[in-house]
Amino acid sequence: MKAFKNWNARSIAMAVDLARQARADGQSVSFAGGGTDLLQLVKDHIPNRPGQGEPDVLVSLKGIDGPSRIEMTTGGGVTIGALATLTAVSESLVVRDRFNAIAEAAAVVATPQIRNVGTVGGNLAQRPWCWYFRNGFPCYKAGGDRCFSAGGENQLHAIFGGGPSYIVHPSDLAPALVAFGATFRIAGSGGERTVSAPDFFVPPRTDAQHENVLADDEVLVGVDVPAPAAGTRSTYHKIMDREAWTHALSSAAVVMQMDGDVCRRASIVLGGVAPIPWRVPEAEALLAGQRVTPELARRVGEVAVTGARPLAKNAYKVPLTRGVVERTVLALASRA
Amino acid sequence: MSASWVGGGVPTSPLSTSSLGVGTPTSPSAAPRQTPSQSVPQLAPMRTVGHGVPRIDAVERVTGQAGYTRDLRREGMLFARLLTSPHPHARIVSIDTSRAVALPGVRAIVSHFTHPDIVYSSGSIAGGAQYNDTAKDNTLHKRYMFGNPVRYVGEPVAAVAAVDRHAAEEAARLITVEYEELPFVLDVEEALAPGAPQIWPEGNIGLNGQNQPRPLGGRQGDPEAGFAAAHRILEGRYTTSFAQDAQLEPRSVLAEWEGDKLILHTPTQGISNCRHDNARDLGLEDHQVQVICHYMGGGFGDKNGSYYHDLIAATLARETSTPVKLEVTRKEDWLGTHGRWHTTQDLRVGFTNDGVVTAIQQRAYSGMGPFLRRSGGLSGIDAYACPNVDRQIYPVHTNRTVSGNMRAPSEPQGFFPIQSLMDDVAYAVGMDPVDFALRNMRRPTEQVRFTNYSLEECIARGAELFDWRNRWRPTPGADAGPIKRGAGFAFMMFRSGVGPSSAILRLDGTTGRCTLFVGVTDIGPGAKTTMALIAAEELGASLDQVDVVWGDTDRCPYSVGESGSRTTIMTGYAVVEAARDLKRQIAERGTPGTSEVLIASATPNPSTQGRQRLCFGAHFCEVEVDVQLGHVRVTKFVAVHESGRILNPLPARDQIRGAVLQGISMALKEDLLYDARNGQPLTAGYYGARHLTHLDAPQIEVEFIETDDGFGPFGAKTVGEAGIIHSPTAVGNAIYNAIGRRMKDLPITRARILEALA
Repeated sequence: MKAFKNWNARSIAMAVDLARQARADGQSVSFAGGGTDLLQLVKDHIPNRPGQGEPDVLVSLKGIDGPSRIEMTTGGGVTIGALATLTAVSESLVVRDRFNAIAEAAAVVATPQIRNVGTVGGNLAQRPWCWYFRNGFPCYKAGGDRCFSAGGENQLHAIFGGGPSYIVHPSDLAPALVAFGATFRIAGSGGERTVSAPDFFVPPRTDAQHENVLADDEVLVGVDVPAPAAGTRSTYHKIMDREAWTHALSSAAVVMQMDGDVCRRASIVLGGVAPIPWRVPEAEALLAGQRVTPELARRVGEVAVTGARPLAKNAYKVPLTRGVVERTVLALASRA
Repeated sequence: MSASWVGGGVPTSPLSTSSLGVGTPTSPSAAPRQTPSQSVPQLAPMRTVGHGVPRIDAVERVTGQAGYTRDLRREGMLFARLLTSPHPHARIVSIDTSRAVALPGVRAIVSHFTHPDIVYSSGSIAGGAQYNDTAKDNTLHKRYMFGNPVRYVGEPVAAVAAVDRHAAEEAARLITVEYEELPFVLDVEEALAPGAPQIWPEGNIGLNGQNQPRPLGGRQGDPEAGFAAAHRILEGRYTTSFAQDAQLEPRSVLAEWEGDKLILHTPTQGISNCRHDNARDLGLEDHQVQVICHYMGGGFGDKNGSYYHDLIAATLARETSTPVKLEVTRKEDWLGTHGRWHTTQDLRVGFTNDGVVTAIQQRAYSGMGPFLRRSGGLSGIDAYACPNVDRQIYPVHTNRTVSGNMRAPSEPQGFFPIQSLMDDVAYAVGMDPVDFALRNMRRPTEQVRFTNYSLEECIARGAELFDWRNRWRPTPGADAGPIKRGAGFAFMMFRSGVGPSSAILRLDGTTGRCTLFVGVTDIGPGAKTTMALIAAEELGASLDQVDVVWGDTDRCPYSVGESGSRTTIMTGYAVVEAARDLKRQIAERGTPGTSEVLIASATPNPSTQGRQRLCFGAHFCEVEVDVQLGHVRVTKFVAVHESGRILNPLPARDQIRGAVLQGISMALKEDLLYDARNGQPLTAGYYGARHLTHLDAPQIEVEFIETDDGFGPFGAKTVGEAGIIHSPTAVGNAIYNAIGRRMKDLPITRARILEALA
């Protein structure tokens, strides 16, 4: 592991300032939340920011109090600080009561140890877990000019929205937050800005190297989730190739606004199958104004994967995702 | 306090005053007793063994007091790190260390160019010949501490010793190596095709002890006549994947020299083998090397004997005249030690319509990586009685990482293909697979006698516990709905041979305590505790009156090493004999008084007089397969084993459970994936190789059928390896019963299930 300096920030403004100073001194900087993945990247000599060297300085955000809170807003939404741990999110009564898919997504990340330390911001901004990137290949994600998975081992890679990079976005929280229409607050040298959740994540056709809009000097501060409409229920279903400590092969965050047994409106966002949280509007539209029958759920599953373009070794993700959507939609609609 | 308890006095420890305890210790007579081969005798309970005792070092281990190799420190010690090959096959043209040497704190750098001649012990020799020093000297395929060319990604190229870890690692990264990349090959069949890249001048088939590229296996009976007599023939191609040992503790070595004596603290399963290997490789006498391993974090086979890490640390320590501790990363450990050889196997079975197997043919390729760390053999076919067998097993060199012995080295990947195919044969003739096994499994004959035989009892008891008749579906894949259940069965027999080992007992008349000296290290099964239990039993003492000295070649006598499930049988029997020697001395001279000491020792080399000594087991597995999501869940697993007398039921059950879980993981999860274009491994480490987690672990019911065939300590047999041999097969057969598709490739992943059902 390359030796680095650790600077503890006491506020977001101080963190941004520390990073700016270090950069002005010609040093490579990374913001550190829980550090569970960042330190592994450092140990493995994998760049946390594409095209930049290994960090000389880590600006630790852990000592900052405000952004670790989870609070209900006056309008009935919730604001989740980017430094809240995944465990805190999964155990938050507010989140569990009104935004269940978010709590469920936080609860199935990695392992209890990692959830106790890992943060919302880290989960959303984590680098891909593609085995080429993680083994030090000079791919797009490392600042290079190629995707090795396209003609190689792509069992775990994208079936939607791929090219020129075929990574899948590794966050479990991301599909749930997109499904709930969250907005992300970002701080940087130029002050704070807000982007909608879908706009936070960047498809590889727009930028093959970065997974999100965060600039080198920016840090995610928090997530605001608007109040759900009455009758809203939600769930997150994650399929892994073992029961813990791995990323989704396919997952679905489903939010439904129910009126009796009729679904007024649905959001379906897939994880583990695309370089960004993957919304399936055609499938959502099938549910609007309908009673959710097993037959309808089956059609929703089929429509959800009609746009899939599997690679040579991940065709199984198509029936898998179809099944995940069908099951999740039906189970959520049937929930009392 | 006098030692009046020796020889059967009143036990004083609460541990030994179990309600099952009897006043007089039972001890086996010197000569093996006759045991009926077809029935399981009721074993009389013993005083100390057999009652489920916590490990004597459990508290040290779970409270962090146990000092593992990585915890050791020496004043002024240097830290060493490796530089390993990034290429699957390349010639090293030059190594420029100038930038690394210039780094403050760097003390020494060694590589192929500084030390080209140190052969790493096992060389590259097939078929068990690695235990033969002559073969090691004669082999054409010498494996060096630092090789050139390098032949796999992860092979050591250089090592740095520096004052701290950071300097050592940074220096390793500052070494510039110029490589000339060579063509590489990863697949066993491609490696044997004409024009394949040659990893050795002699070709890509592993050489035997006579430097000949001969396949393992051979012919028995008349295979052609057997196939001609068959009513039907089934055949299939099977592949099994590389499974890393994946023990928790990565390697680390602390080497220090005292004059011309080398002291090695190293995590090894066998201190005696490790000492001998290192002494020979470094041109020393055995007595000039002291190997110490007090605590280790698992081994599963890849810590048997010495490893090149020992040689590198010793070399750096000699160069710097300073103690050196070499540490490796998880990834370096994963790629740089070894795992179970992957295989590609073609099998044919001929059988009659009434379900009798008449002939078996096997053509198999075992992927060994560039060196024959171990044999590449495959078992499984020998578990059947069929007299007509034709087996050819080629150990094949590739540029993948090295394969070697992992927990039952030749068994799970040998049993899975043949018992999958036999399962197909049973369905083909309309037989219950259990009945088919009972008809075809190997049994003792007039020509080949066993010390005992209890496989029928294992199968019958397992079927009863599992409720096989109700759980097994006569028609595979018959369940309606997306979640289908199925049941699978597999059986095994495995070596439990006797052999030489040593033990020393010292009775101190002043304290009345007994000290047992045994050269075990305890890779996990609780060998220290087992040895103490055996001594206490034979002496009629309580467990807490026996102290154990272990894991140090200068303090302990020879032990076989904890591989091949031999420690309990061989070293345990030496403990029995040493205790008998002590009792004889007491009988002759009386118990030692104050300031008197008695020393007893034994190095028995027992024999079964030509009879085979085997352990037996039957596994029954139920799975649920979600055919929509491809998910396999093991819902029930029953493991019935006959491993002789069980000396300590607590760790014995855990050994079976752990082995079954490792087998389930092998069946469903583990692989080491390579990119075929560049020869790079992609899934090294626990995350990538997808080992089971606790949440994946089903409940496993373990039952032992206990016997005493008169050999080993009180009749004890193999436990540690027994549970992994057939567990992957039971899982695979259950999946077939659930979905009606034969999964012939391991691991049986979600992707493969969904593809099979597509």
